[in-house]
Amino acid sequence: MSVLTLSLVLMLLLFAILGTGVWIAIALAMVGFVAILSSTATPPGQVLASSMWAASNSWDLTALPMFIWMGEILYRTKLPEDMFAGLAPWLQRLPGRLLHTNVVGCAIFAAVSGSSAATCATIGRIALPELLKRGYDEKMAIGTLAGSGTLGLLIPPSIILIVYATATDQSIARLFIAGVVPGIMLAALFMGFIAVWALINNSRMPPPEPAVPFLERVYASRRLIPVTLLILGVIGSIYGGLASATEAAVVGVFLSLALSWWSDTLNKTSFIDALLAATRTSCMIAFILAGAAYLTAAMGFTGIPIVLAEWISGFKLPPWALLTALTAFYIVLGCFLDGISMVVLTTSIIIPLVTKAGFDLIWFGIYVVLVVEMAQITPPVGFNLYVLQGMTGRNIFTIGTYTLPLFLLMCLAVALVAMFPGIALWLPSTMFDMR
Amino acid sequence: QTKWDMPTPYPDGNFHTKNVIQFAADVDKATGGSLKIQVHSAGSLIKHPEIKRAVRQGTAPIGEILESLVANEAPVYGLDSVPFLATGYDASKKLYAAQKPFLEKQLASEGLVLLYSVPWPPQGIYAKRTITKIEDLKGVKFRTYNPMIGRIAALAGAIPTQIEVPDLPTAFATGRVDVMITSASTGVDTKAQDYLTDYIDAEGWLPRNIVFVNKAAFDKLSAAEQKAVTEAAKAAEERGWKASIEEKKIKTDALKAAGIKVSEPTPELKAGLQKIGATIAAEWEKSAGEDGAAMLAAYRK
Amino acid sequence: MRLFLDTLYRIALWLAALCLATIASMVGVQLAARILDGVLALVHLPTTSFVILSLNEICGYLLAAASFLALAGTLKAGVHIRVTMVFGALSEGTRRYAEMVAFAAAAAGVAYMTWNLASFAWVSFQFNEVSTGVIRVPLCYPQAAMALGAAILAIALTDELVIVARSGRPSFRHAEDAITVGKEG
Ligand code: NA
Ligand code: NA
Repeated sequence: MSVLTLSLVLMLLLFAILGTGVWIAIALAMVGFVAILSSTATPPGQVLASSMWAASNSWDLTALPMFIWMGEILYRTKLPEDMFAGLAPWLQRLPGRLLHTNVVGCAIFAAVSGSSAATCATIGRIALPELLKRGYDEKMAIGTLAGSGTLGLLIPPSIILIVYATATDQSIARLFIAGVVPGIMLAALFMGFIAVWALINNSRMPPPEPAVPFLERVYASRRLIPVTLLILGVIGSIYGGLASATEAAVVGVFLSLALSWWSDTLNKTSFIDALLAATRTSCMIAFILAGAAYLTAAMGFTGIPIVLAEWISGFKLPPWALLTALTAFYIVLGCFLDGISMVVLTTSIIIPLVTKAGFDLIWFGIYVVLVVEMAQITPPVGFNLYVLQGMTGRNIFTIGTYTLPLFLLMCLAVALVAMFPGIALWLPSTMFDMR
Repeated sequence: QTKWDMPTPYPDGNFHTKNVIQFAADVDKATGGSLKIQVHSAGSLIKHPEIKRAVRQGTAPIGEILESLVANEAPVYGLDSVPFLATGYDASKKLYAAQKPFLEKQLASEGLVLLYSVPWPPQGIYAKRTITKIEDLKGVKFRTYNPMIGRIAALAGAIPTQIEVPDLPTAFATGRVDVMITSASTGVDTKAQDYLTDYIDAEGWLPRNIVFVNKAAFDKLSAAEQKAVTEAAKAAEERGWKASIEEKKIKTDALKAAGIKVSEPTPELKAGLQKIGATIAAEWEKSAGEDGAAMLAAYRK
Repeated sequence: MRLFLDTLYRIALWLAALCLATIASMVGVQLAARILDGVLALVHLPTTSFVILSLNEICGYLLAAASFLALAGTLKAGVHIRVTMVFGALSEGTRRYAEMVAFAAAAAGVAYMTWNLASFAWVSFQFNEVSTGVIRVPLCYPQAAMALGAAILAIALTDELVIVARSGRPSFRHAEDAITVGKEG
């Protein structure tokens, strides 16, 4: 069997096993097992143990449970309510008014949460009922929420970026800082879209509320202080030289606990619930990483990534054509796979290819996060859609049509980041290339 | 036809990896293609800390590691990184000759056969400040990743701090680390000019990589193939030592060209470092017992 | 038997949570020492230079243990993800058999994994494998914890196979259908 045929067979096998409802981590490992058996005399069991061990005992990966834990603690505090109350008076004045709370709320919460669905759920829990109560257009309220939730992945901290960094040996801190400008750009695109939509569809906007006097707006802003301190504490600990990105996650845990204690939401139950929820979620992700590490090692033994990379580079595609093809591939893959699986499959197959094509791996990480963000809002498998399905009772395909404009804006963002790599790379270079 | 998968820790551009790839090509040519070695660089197949074990178990028949990575397993693996014991290429070669029989013995006890060993360029001191005497190291954050460097930090009164290579620029930029000891190669590869200013060419020691093969896998080869492997290894060792000397010059020049202040250690600093080195060598000798004494005696002869 | 199994999953999950809390505490102590030293240096007092040696490696080992010890508890809470799209299109009766196939396959796969992780830890013990950092940590302990976690997952999967065979649906079906926050990352 030629290597290309084998890769096709393994791909189909993966989808077949996934389709039968075997857990993703185990399915990845099963395909790895078959890959080794089919192409070398290497004992598959030894490779399994060795690769799973190597993938699981990682200091960098320690950031993952800690950032998840931080998010779980914050989810159980009054932080989201406070954020909404502090932001709403200011955003009233923009065209599109409170619809912007979705974007700005998600962007700010994204700076303390590493997850897209958690960002979507935390902000949605507060913002969505308020927006619907005040008569905002439902399609817009739900669509922009689903889209903005994905900012959780691009604006640091980001679970996807941690996964990508550990799988490709890149600096987490550099990747984090690389995500900032693209994240703000994407938020700005969303806000621009809301404003334009509101100007065109003025009839579908609720009547304006009485303007809040300036001083009252300032006074309401005090409720943004906790989240600001939290963001400054975590980011500041990294770039102030106190902590590495991994240690900063622990700073985040302690600051969140302090916040929770200060706002009277910390008790034995909330502490234990948050810890156990974080343990489970990080276990789920770590298990997928372990399964994927086995598949990656198996792929190395089959030689598929090398052959595939040579095969594709044989076409001598210009970089934009390669990226367009990759994006199309990711969009299709993203309809059916979750973000982490997309990233881990990427690292076993695509990375040799993009390295050969000469892409910067920090830049490529940001690109991957953008396409993974798109995957969060494309049915049938899209976690932000699930979150909103649970919240609104609409089915995911309906919500998918609501989010279509935001999906298109993300495609635009990908194009912009591809045309101007500096959007991602400028900030890390200025932050670190100084003595 | 036999196919060997060979995991190596460093990326394709690294001079060790280039040497390994040439070695594989030599073996291919000498055996007329009957033994193919597929090199998997940069830990892409098996991660660096797992490579020795993988070869030991036969998961991969052949591999390369940084010898001192496994210094915790047996003292003999740590001799090449005893600081300021053998500080130039000639001394390093002599040290290797003294160590070799014991290294082979240790590897044999693990079912492994040594093929060849090639040094990194000598280790120098990187810093974001000027260092003229050993006291300048007191209280600074000193990058530590193995017991030997941990001892240097402890004896110099520095604060040991753990930084992974991808994190180096951030760590230096934000002040989580002030000083590190590594070769000119690592400095160039991580674009040291972006995050620090000074390189002191202290020639601390020459850590070596070792390339070894699983004995059972080696025994399965025909006599002709075995000969091809050993001869290619011999050639690789000679080529590698030359490449290393070349590498030192290229990379030190590259550091200079990139605007890093490259200097020789001051006599005070040198004396301080040598004092630390003598202490560590004595400690090492004690931990390595009779064999250790024999190796050092052979080296100093 | 039920009580025994549920207690087993719970203890393992708690141990995992404890590992994570230990990571946070150790890093927290190290950070506190660093802050204290910063303050002391600022007012020109001698610093403590307190360092937890090999902190990074030890945290990595605790993480490996945590990730695997939590496997069964995570399964039981319906948090491990899988593609249930096909199941959604099946009738309850057919779905039951489909579920049983999935559980049987997964249990077999994880049993194989357990065996290999266990022998990996055993060989580490025999080879006397230790960490590469400043402190010599024997690797067989975290590796054994991984094997143990995998073994408990294999038991939990078999347990669920029996439950599906008896009652038609996995015990965590409800939790799995209601999507939990933060699942995808
Ligand atoms: Na985030
Ligand atoms: Na999707």
